[in-house]
Amino acid sequence: MLKNYFKIAWRNLWKNRLFTTINIVGLSVAFGVAILLSMDSLHELSYDKFHANGDSLYKTFITWQTPKGTEVGTSQPTPFANALQSEVPGIEKITRYLETDALVSYNEKEINLDAVWVDADFFSMFTFPIAQGDKKNPLKDLSSIVVTETTANKLFGEKNPIGKTVTILVNGKQEPFTISGIAADSPKENSLEFEIALRFEKNAEYEETKERWGAQYHEVYVQLQNGVLATDFEKSSRAFTNLHYKEASERLKRDGALPNVSGNFLQLGLLSITDVNFTSFTKGYAEISRGATYLVLGVAFLILFIACVNFINMSIARSSQRLREIGMRKTLGAEKQQLFFQFWSESLFVFLVSVGLGILLSVVLLNDFQTLFRTSASFEILISPKIILISTVLILFITLFVGGYPALLLSRLGTIQSLKGKLETSGKNRVRDALIVVQFSIAILLISGTLVLWEQVEYMQNKDLGYDKEQVLSFPLDGKRNSYAAIRLLRNELAGNPNILGVTASDNNLGRGKDGSQYTSVWGFEYKGKTVKTNSLVVDYDYIKTLGLELVQGRSFDNNRENDSQVVIINESMARELGEDNPLEAQLPVGDSLGSPIIGVVKDYNFQDISKAIEPLTFFLDRESSLNYAYVKVTPVNMSNSFDVIEAAYKKIEPNTAFLGSFLDENVDRTFRREKTMATLITSGSVIAIILSCIGLFAMSLLIVAQRTKEIGIRKVIGASVISITYILTKDFLKLVVVAFLIATPIAWWFAKDWLQNYAYHIDLSWSLFTLSGLLAVAIAVLTISTKTIKAAIANPLNSLRDE
Amino acid sequence: MLLQLNNIFKWVNSGGQRIFLLKDINLQVEEGEFISIMGPSGSGKSTLLNVIGMLDGFDEGEYNFLDESVHNLKEKLRSNLYKEYIGFVFQSYHLLDELTVQENLEMPLLYKKVKGAERKAMVADMLDRFNIVGKKDLFPAQLSGGQQQLVGVARALIANPKLILADEPTGNLNSQQSEEIMELFKQLNTEGVTIIQVTHSEKNAAYGSRIVNLLDGRMI
Repeated sequence: MLKNYFKIAWRNLWKNRLFTTINIVGLSVAFGVAILLSMDSLHELSYDKFHANGDSLYKTFITWQTPKGTEVGTSQPTPFANALQSEVPGIEKITRYLETDALVSYNEKEINLDAVWVDADFFSMFTFPIAQGDKKNPLKDLSSIVVTETTANKLFGEKNPIGKTVTILVNGKQEPFTISGIAADSPKENSLEFEIALRFEKNAEYEETKERWGAQYHEVYVQLQNGVLATDFEKSSRAFTNLHYKEASERLKRDGALPNVSGNFLQLGLLSITDVNFTSFTKGYAEISRGATYLVLGVAFLILFIACVNFINMSIARSSQRLREIGMRKTLGAEKQQLFFQFWSESLFVFLVSVGLGILLSVVLLNDFQTLFRTSASFEILISPKIILISTVLILFITLFVGGYPALLLSRLGTIQSLKGKLETSGKNRVRDALIVVQFSIAILLISGTLVLWEQVEYMQNKDLGYDKEQVLSFPLDGKRNSYAAIRLLRNELAGNPNILGVTASDNNLGRGKDGSQYTSVWGFEYKGKTVKTNSLVVDYDYIKTLGLELVQGRSFDNNRENDSQVVIINESMARELGEDNPLEAQLPVGDSLGSPIIGVVKDYNFQDISKAIEPLTFFLDRESSLNYAYVKVTPVNMSNSFDVIEAAYKKIEPNTAFLGSFLDENVDRTFRREKTMATLITSGSVIAIILSCIGLFAMSLLIVAQRTKEIGIRKVIGASVISITYILTKDFLKLVVVAFLIATPIAWWFAKDWLQNYAYHIDLSWSLFTLSGLLAVAIAVLTISTKTIKAAIANPLNSLRDE
Repeated sequence: MLLQLNNIFKWVNSGGQRIFLLKDINLQVEEGEFISIMGPSGSGKSTLLNVIGMLDGFDEGEYNFLDESVHNLKEKLRSNLYKEYIGFVFQSYHLLDELTVQENLEMPLLYKKVKGAERKAMVADMLDRFNIVGKKDLFPAQLSGGQQQLVGVARALIANPKLILADEPTGNLNSQQSEEIMELFKQLNTEGVTIIQVTHSEKNAAYGSRIVNLLDGRMI
């Protein structure tokens, strides 16, 4: 019997080659896409889950009640960790965590490595197993360091690196360190990535900030004792914050901040390590959101859903052709179950082939997928017993349901009706209509999402940021030389080149450079009885001119004035923050000096990500602190040539350091890479969804035409025109698209509005955008359906009216 | 006695009115009979045949088949009953297009869960008996109408039914093919198979042992 089922299934599928192909193509694409997308989101969701102590590991953050609302920071001062461990009960282990670049040299080799400065407990808290060396406590000594296997290979090649000494540039000095352990390369799903781990006490800021509670620059991770809850710890830490942040609390109170529910102005919080990758602090509180990841998973399921709806609708559409067969089989003695199994085995066949092809497709497309969506997700994540079991069950379930539903409908038909070839159309249409409405709602939702995303990305790309991003390139100054010396040499090298318009430097980059790092440096001080916070930027001469910033008041730093290192320039936001009528008469209390006069005000420009509003900013010409990034402005002609000239010049100055230059517009693009990736993803998703929906529509037009052949014939005989018949056939279904539009638009509107809230500068949502997506859906739908309806309308009515 | 219909009524409600398809039908069929049901279009011939074949239900009355009360039986048992004892032949043959002749013959046996070897033997036997061994691997579309109906009859017979119900079996055939099929029926009848056929043709009806005339759902 089973053999027979499959034989019949095969012949039926072969007979309806067109349908079978459409179904298999649709389902394979859907399965392939679903595999890739769920792989990506599973990859994201498994971030930081590999730590054996994961349940008790937390990152600390502090919530401040400020007059403007709450602010959250994860940066802590140097004495914080030790004090916390000794004063608040419940901590098993604690480590400070600072991530920087470190220039490591061994013999002739010089490499810039991604370094973390941590306490000795780091390797016993987190699961980064030590493959070689001291497995228990590799960071026992202040001068011991741990490198990863890959890094060890880069530095030492094949040789055994344990005990080798390398020198690392700390605070401008070469210091020796000894390799005491090699850590196995960590899983990809790791937000605490590092290439080299050093003792925290060795970091450049340590000595200066040992006792200072005001200098917050690193993160702190804790491991709670067994049975201690994060919430309990947060409660018991209040005495600690009240003691150590007393002055800060009082200042906040004085400035008019409102205390939180527990009556405090500061509250320590713990963030589980598994949430770290999904947490954003930009809204003033720890917002844990896996939304984007679930969105990807959601798109995967939506696409799968659309393909399954197609399958169901197409199976039902085809059932009218198979009525006689069903009736005949029933008279031959087939029972419901047997018919069900027969039709189901056909579905099973299609699904098995589709799943197989889908897997094949995902394997073939994996590389493109990884590049296009910038993910390092791979199949490894899917090859776990749990995932395989879940997906097998899921696929079986889909097959059972999607294949079973039409099979059930068909097997339940009455014998006589089916023998006569009449389809009972009541009720069933409602299911079909509902499915099509859902299908089109999804398509319209995705189309609107695509349009909104791209408009926002476009907007961010084209927004005037207030500085010249096209002609200026920046690169990190991370060589051995003192940065001022390096920049002087660079000026000399490039002098006289007509294509170079200016050279300058600062301690921070604009946008995200090729080195991938971004940071914020905030300075808070007392000003006329209130607390003022400003971003600070150390610049070199010509910064304002080179970047094309606009001075609205005063002057720029001048090389010829001796005292300019004592003066500051601010932006308009800062001027507003100070609240002075004439900011040029104000002085800021920098360091121990009596006050640094403000000599100029620049027009506000987006020095941070576009998603953020422009904050107060102060420029310093502080020759004591080093510059980290050089900026070179070039003429708009021959830009790639100029780029090469600059690279050559820098190579001459720092022969051992890689040149990571890029134009500022590329840097800015990198800051919304996530949005672009998401836009690409949603676009691909909606294109696939639309194509699949169209396949489904095509099937539906077949169904309509098949059901109404006789009606069409009669209408034609009594004189209906082709146009009127096409209209009648299309009308019903257009109604469905309109309903879908009405359902999808408010949802799309809500999502888009919610998403745009994340951006300080965003597009305005207009109805035209949603109307456009609706019209697009209608147009695509009409085009798809018209081929079949017009054909039916011009067919000879004799054929449809002939009985038997 | 093979079957007995007592006061069978069947109706549909249309526009608040009850329209009778079958009205007070009383019919007794003995084993070995060859009955022809005749009557004008719409008189209820096919409906009666479908009721007898248990493909269709009725609204009132009693139906006994081999001492079983069909009107009281559950769907499943009813289908077992007709699977066991009844074979159908249709005007438009209703062969399964995607199956070969041999597979079409095999189908009822599969539904009756007959074992493989026995099934093969029965199919071979039937092919032999109807002289269609040479056509066993052809599909219905490759056969003439007469040949298709021959396969249809063979299929109806393969499960050794007691009763064959034929709904205008020669309606789509030319006169020569018709005659062949009717001769076949006559021969089967002499071998002991009970046959009930619906027909328009007096000539075909003459093959039978008894004629039941229907008009507007009533026996006359």
